[in-house]
Amino acid sequence: MSGYDFDVIQRSWVYLFRDGMTFTLTLTALAMVGGIFFGTLLAMMRLSRFSILSYAAGGYVNLMRSLPLVLVIFWFFFLVPYIGAWAIGAKDPVKVGSFMSCLITFTMFEAAYYCEIMRAGIQSVARGQVWAGYALGLNYWLTMGKIVLPQAFRNMLPVLLTQTVILFQDTSLVYVISATDFLGAAAKVANRDYRLVEMYTFVAVVYFIISFGLSLLVKQLQSRIAIIR
Amino acid sequence: MISIKNISKWYGSFQVLTDCSTEVKKGEVVVVCGPSGSGKSTIIKCVNALEPFQKGEITVDGISVGDPKTDLPKLRSRIGMVFQNFELFPHLSVTENLTLAQIKVLGRTPEAARDKALKLLDRVGLMAHKDKFPGQLSGGQQQRVAIARALSIDPIAMLFDEPTSALDPEMINEVLDVMVQLAQEGMTMMVVTHEMGFAKRVAHRVIFMDAGKIIEDCTKDDFFGTQRSERAQLFLSKILHH
Repeated sequence: MSGYDFDVIQRSWVYLFRDGMTFTLTLTALAMVGGIFFGTLLAMMRLSRFSILSYAAGGYVNLMRSLPLVLVIFWFFFLVPYIGAWAIGAKDPVKVGSFMSCLITFTMFEAAYYCEIMRAGIQSVARGQVWAGYALGLNYWLTMGKIVLPQAFRNMLPVLLTQTVILFQDTSLVYVISATDFLGAAAKVANRDYRLVEMYTFVAVVYFIISFGLSLLVKQLQSRIAIIR
Repeated sequence: MISIKNISKWYGSFQVLTDCSTEVKKGEVVVVCGPSGSGKSTIIKCVNALEPFQKGEITVDGISVGDPKTDLPKLRSRIGMVFQNFELFPHLSVTENLTLAQIKVLGRTPEAARDKALKLLDRVGLMAHKDKFPGQLSGGQQQRVAIARALSIDPIAMLFDEPTSALDPEMINEVLDVMVQLAQEGMTMMVVTHEMGFAKRVAHRVIFMDAGKIIEDCTKDDFFGTQRSERAQLFLSKILHH
């Protein structure tokens, strides 16, 4: 293969994984946890009988789902410092690192998607289960926390994880704010050594292996966790 | 113990209950029957506020169910309820189904709750299944667990919403036996059912409903005697002759 130099991978993979992949995986994991947490709260709000809560949550979800992710990342990166300053009453914009900015963005963005999954999950639990919880004297939070949500999570786990695989891929969009995720790190090496084809091919292969591997895992899990009915 | 006064309820513009009044005294077993869609399940769900009602008043042990100031979880924790479709929690073991409310609502220790749960399981004859999950049990067994679960919070009254309607015929008796035993021990019970044999054995009173109204509310002897409306006679002739 004359003209190609795949040695560049050999020379740079430690850096790519140590800096880049760590960023990507940490961001994915934390945004997943935060996204599911806030998404579940949003879903509970959307299904609330208090119309203010359900309209507020519905509006938020529709807004987030109607904006391109790249735009939100960009927009937040420039806006979060000012929102932070406003929130704590400081004069100057708060310094927020690019990782923190990405984490907030992805958590808020993914929450809208996880919300819709959790909403379907909550609705998949029979009405009678809620009645049974209430009839035993459990209040709303206990009924949700002990009866509805555990079943909703179990029913929706495959979909939640599939969404996480999408999130894992989407984190590569942080390149727009020059964050050094896996793709960003590879891009830097590629530009420095002028080895674009080699590096981007390598990145594609790594993303494919991880994403496809996770999808296979989800499939396996799906058959294992089904509740006996 | 349970007093229902002039209850009316609408789903939108459709009236499901019209001016229903009755009373269940302490230790009394009242059977509610009637054709499907007559509102009998709705009225029993109104008693522990699982269904709201728009007019009238229901009091349980002197506490008003419809009053917005009433602590509903507390009120419900004093009433046991058994559902047509069992509604056991499928992600919890049989024992956990029985201990959940004891620990989270009544504040019992896990050990005390477990002791109580095992006693109740023994009573309904399901001790051997204590560690299984609901999905591993037959319908009749599940409903017996559900009765034990309702009893786990030491209720002052029990509500049964068609407890045998979802069961295969050969499982109906094992559930009815538990209910008969409960009635004979003096539990206050309000039972929506078509099981007239059960009514004949243990009911003190029978309420017959049709189209959202209470048509008959009389003693068992009167109900199965001759003192009843044409509508009730027709209903009885249909369900007793099969």
